[in-house]
Amino acid sequence: MTALQDRPQNVRRAPLPLFGKAFSDSWRGLLGWGVGLAAAAFLYLPIYPSMSGASGMQELLDNLPPELIKTLNYDQIGTGAGYTQATLFGLLGFLLLSIAATGWGAGALGGDEESGQLELTLAHGVTRVQVAMARFFAIAVKILALSALLFLVVLVLNDSAQLEIEVGDLLGTSLIFAGVSLLTASVALLGGALTGRRIGGIAGGTTVAVLGYVFNALGNQSASLEWLHTLSPYYWAFGDSPLSTGANVTTTIVFYAASLVLAAAAAIALRQRDIGV
Amino acid sequence: MSHAALGHSTDIRGDGTSPGAAIEVVNLVKRFGHNRALNGVSFQVPRGTVFGVIGPNGAGKTTIMRALLDIIRPTSGQATVLGTPSRNAGPDLRRRIGYLPGELVLEGRTSGRRLLQHYADISGPVTAGHVNELAERLGLDLDRPVRKLSKGNKQKLGIVQAFMHQPELLVLDEPTSGLDPLMQQEFLRMVREARNRGQTVFLSSHVISEIQQAADEVAILRDGRIVTINSVEELRTTAIRHLRLVASGIRPTDLAAILGALQGVTTLDCTLTATGDAEAVATLSGAIAPFVQAIGALQVRDLVLEEPDLEESVLKLYSAPVAAAVVTK
Repeated sequence: MTALQDRPQNVRRAPLPLFGKAFSDSWRGLLGWGVGLAAAAFLYLPIYPSMSGASGMQELLDNLPPELIKTLNYDQIGTGAGYTQATLFGLLGFLLLSIAATGWGAGALGGDEESGQLELTLAHGVTRVQVAMARFFAIAVKILALSALLFLVVLVLNDSAQLEIEVGDLLGTSLIFAGVSLLTASVALLGGALTGRRIGGIAGGTTVAVLGYVFNALGNQSASLEWLHTLSPYYWAFGDSPLSTGANVTTTIVFYAASLVLAAAAAIALRQRDIGV
Repeated sequence: MSHAALGHSTDIRGDGTSPGAAIEVVNLVKRFGHNRALNGVSFQVPRGTVFGVIGPNGAGKTTIMRALLDIIRPTSGQATVLGTPSRNAGPDLRRRIGYLPGELVLEGRTSGRRLLQHYADISGPVTAGHVNELAERLGLDLDRPVRKLSKGNKQKLGIVQAFMHQPELLVLDEPTSGLDPLMQQEFLRMVREARNRGQTVFLSSHVISEIQQAADEVAILRDGRIVTINSVEELRTTAIRHLRLVASGIRPTDLAAILGALQGVTTLDCTLTATGDAEAVATLSGAIAPFVQAIGALQVRDLVLEEPDLEESVLKLYSAPVAAAVVTK
């Protein structure tokens, strides 16, 4: 038995190993999403001056059916903030970050369990709650990083593209943009934790993102459908044009708090289940 | 010999210092829906011993191991591991266990070394240099990306992962699967060394040969029940082997007479080969020595005495339902 007692007690260990692993496993993916988001910004924003000037924009709007304009949130497109909101935060950026968030959320627990790797991690000196929360925070940091990148890119282009967006409004919008994406990710996390399958998480995350977008678009169409806005996280985030009027602080906090609650629910769900069966 | 007796409760004192069993499983039942994966399994593994579980796929080996690690929760019954109930056991217990899953999945671009470092970070501590030592013994390249490793090399990485922090208890599910015979021998040496250091090893297999070399005791599991728990010696004598023997200078009928007189030889069939030799095909159970002596006088041209086949021999022996007498109630 002596050999067992000879085990070393002071060996260097990485701080926050679970968080660090969750993060380092996906930095390539993070880089890819970052490039995509930045490309979307560089694609849309620099052409704003040419579109807003003279007749170009108005001509485009006149030719579009009003329902489509409302769906795409193009009704504010005549201002720099409205244009950035409609094309970037509300459309391509939202799409990219929602996909990333859903993938990360679904993969973190559901995907890892389905592949069989979670079993080995949980057989080590960790609790399931630690694993779930560490992976949630890793996702949160990645989403915030992408959102921060978008903030910087828009800030850089603000003058040259004549967007005239207030820095404070841009910051608030970036935070609420990250918040709605984090909500999507945490629903995906919960779906994966409940089902033990990646598809369970993808279904959850997709529901939040797609239904949020669809309910917002339908609610835009007529007063009788406006009630759908109350069901749309997309509307909660972008409904009162945060890029021109500033993000609602309470709503922003609610997004992060709700995400945290959902992550805790995922952790508890994971704790109750048989893994990998 | 059997540690399966239910009645006498052991000297587990619940303070983690019990000198008694490393594993004590009492009447473990696990249902998945209507399917009963474990049907009242009880056994004890004394500290410092190697305990093997054999049984066909689906017998419940993996389910027992997962229950010990708290990866799944039994429907009823109790498993006590190193003096601590496994259900909802904290990380401290699992740090004292090295686990190799039966279906080992290792993916990702990360290198073997970095993956092991990660597991050491959450379960360690690991003696400096020990990982390299283990990898060298198994001939494993730690700097390759994990996803590029062959099945055998992934298995080696899994073995290193289970052994590296020298845990008090090793729980190894089909540890030799994917390893070539040389590496299987090296692995069995590692198991023996672990036992000599005082570590307890609980391992499973569907191949009887690898267990009989390493284990002190063997439990045979079938349909979620332990059929019997034997020492390896006891098991060996009950095993059935296939044999094929070709001898020259003897007529098939004479060969049949010699072999047929031996105890344990069944399904004997002696024929004349195209080359004029006598060929005998039979099954042999029990000790080999009388058989070897009996053929000593023959001009043996070819002899094949197969490893005992678990599927055929042990399970056939214990296929009668009464066999459950040894275990449980």
